[in-house]
Amino acid sequence: MSKKVAIIASNGGLFDAYKVFNIATAAAATDQEVAIFFTFEGLNLIHKEANKQLPMPEGKEHFAEGFAKANVPAIPEMVAMAGELGVKMIGCQMTMDVMGLEKEVFVDGIEVGGAVTFLEFANDADVTLTF
Amino acid sequence: MDVTVNRVLDAKGLACPMPIVKTKKEMTNLDPGKVMEIQATDKGSTADIKAWADSTGNQYLGTVEDGDTLKHYLRKATAEEEKPEKSHPHVVNLEDLQKEIEGNEKITILDVREPAEYAFGHIPGAVNIPLGELEKRFEELNKDDHLHIICRTGSRSDLAAQNLTEKGFQNIKNVVPGMKEWTGSVDKSH
Repeated sequence: MSKKVAIIASNGGLFDAYKVFNIATAAAATDQEVAIFFTFEGLNLIHKEANKQLPMPEGKEHFAEGFAKANVPAIPEMVAMAGELGVKMIGCQMTMDVMGLEKEVFVDGIEVGGAVTFLEFANDADVTLTF
Repeated sequence: MDVTVNRVLDAKGLACPMPIVKTKKEMTNLDPGKVMEIQATDKGSTADIKAWADSTGNQYLGTVEDGDTLKHYLRKATAEEEKPEKSHPHVVNLEDLQKEIEGNEKITILDVREPAEYAFGHIPGAVNIPLGELEKRFEELNKDDHLHIICRTGSRSDLAAQNLTEKGFQNIKNVVPGMKEWTGSVDKSH
């Protein structure tokens, strides 16, 4: 039985996105089952347009150079990679309703569900992380 | 150090977690028992590759630094070798092997692991013939020698012991468990 990693992504900055997708892809590549629940601003991470221009934290804009130098893949690439590795991505239905967003504005392959959808997966997870 | 590999993965210039993600992809296409070289410049990759191998049940052989490039060596494990089912009747444990090496009687140690595994550490004086090549190279061995066969876990060496017994070798012992637990002296040149 492989290990399960459950992640909650509830923030929408560029740093938040890397924290979420680095851990998710690394775990999936190590044969672990991964699910990410995107809620509130975390939904930006899988929004087709928004995730191309996620903001850096205020005052930290100078890190952009470091990201380019370290040859870090862009967030849309990280999302595609996560999808390829079988990471399950769940968009929060309630947040989508509040923000008036439809499933179509998000990257392909996501599921939409409520808190219980995530909890069912997280119930017997070996690792649970919140970003 | 010259290491024979079956596949080379270029992950140079990539940041974490890309070397791991690429390794995972390449490893899927590698046949069990084969060795892969991963070239990376990410300094964290040594610890990551090691941990990755531990979690996935693959074998981490070692890392060689070549200028700014780190060359990691991994061997794809086969399902059977993790649970050895030994059947060659004559076995010797590592402690007794150490005593025999120190003793007066001349013994020959045959290491049947892959050349890359051998290169990263073998018992001094051990002869290397990988299990896969034994069929065509067994004549390099002397039938009258006191032969001790070793691999990593005692599984490949058991197959080799059975194979050579069928070929008329009389004086064969399988070393258990193998290099995985060996704490005696190790030669890293070849």
